Amino acid sequence: MAGEEEPFVGLIIAAIVAACTIGPWLLSIFATMVYQPRKKKVLLERESASAVTGDSLTNLSKPFGGREIREFKVMMASVVMSPSWVQMWIGGFMSIFGGQINVYTKVIDWARREAKQRLREKVAEAGFDSVINLRIETTVMSRTSGGKDRTSGVEILVYGTAIKY
Amino acid sequence: MQAAAQNLIFSNIETIPGMTITQSLGVVSGSTVRAKNVFKDIGAAFKNIAGGEIKAYTELLQESRNEALFRMLQDASARGANAVVNVRFATSSVAGGAAELLAYGTAVVAQ
Repeated sequence: MAGEEEPFVGLIIAAIVAACTIGPWLLSIFATMVYQPRKKKVLLERESASAVTGDSLTNLSKPFGGREIREFKVMMASVVMSPSWVQMWIGGFMSIFGGQINVYTKVIDWARREAKQRLREKVAEAGFDSVINLRIETTVMSRTSGGKDRTSGVEILVYGTAIKY
Repeated sequence: MQAAAQNLIFSNIETIPGMTITQSLGVVSGSTVRAKNVFKDIGAAFKNIAGGEIKAYTELLQESRNEALFRMLQDASARGANAVVNVRFATSSVAGGAAELLAYGTAVVAQ
């Protein structure tokens, strides 16, 4: 009886070990290939929806054409984006050779687009016409684990003065 | 004092549109250092596997930034200003999973 159970228990242990080691990596690969592109597609749709009326964001210190400002408010939008394990691993590997690290470029570019799009939507919702003096801030957030600082995400803050003509 | 700080006007351009600045009262700033709690950290660590947005952090930083902004406005109203111009935000990540959020600007009297 005991002899029959032993390989069974061994199999369960092997399955648990596999789930703890390979499982997250498989999930990470799946997320990188399916979940992230889907989110980016949604973002692209939102961007093209608000691009119909022209981009409302500018980083000029005065409204274009010297138009008069009736009302204004400082508005901001932010997002914390993180690369997936697979992307971090590829990034770590690529930094041996140096040069452009495409996986990181993509993630940060995505985060910045997302933050800008959120500001556009927020501004349009509050009834403002455009944003002047836009500023973009980037911060790397770290997380301590096992005595080491690991990157857990990049925060992008976009802020500016929303105005009504 | 609290109400006075909330009624201050602020902008991140050099002027207050529709008003003239009569007096400058110097640079005012407000800051706060926040750490994420352990449970959110664990949640974020899981989200890290997949990548993408970490909502818990986004919200936390937004809250903290509003707090820093409010402190800056309190500082300005304590100096007798009625507006703050050229407001800037800065963030730095302090080691150990904490972030410092700073808001600063020039306190002015505008009419």
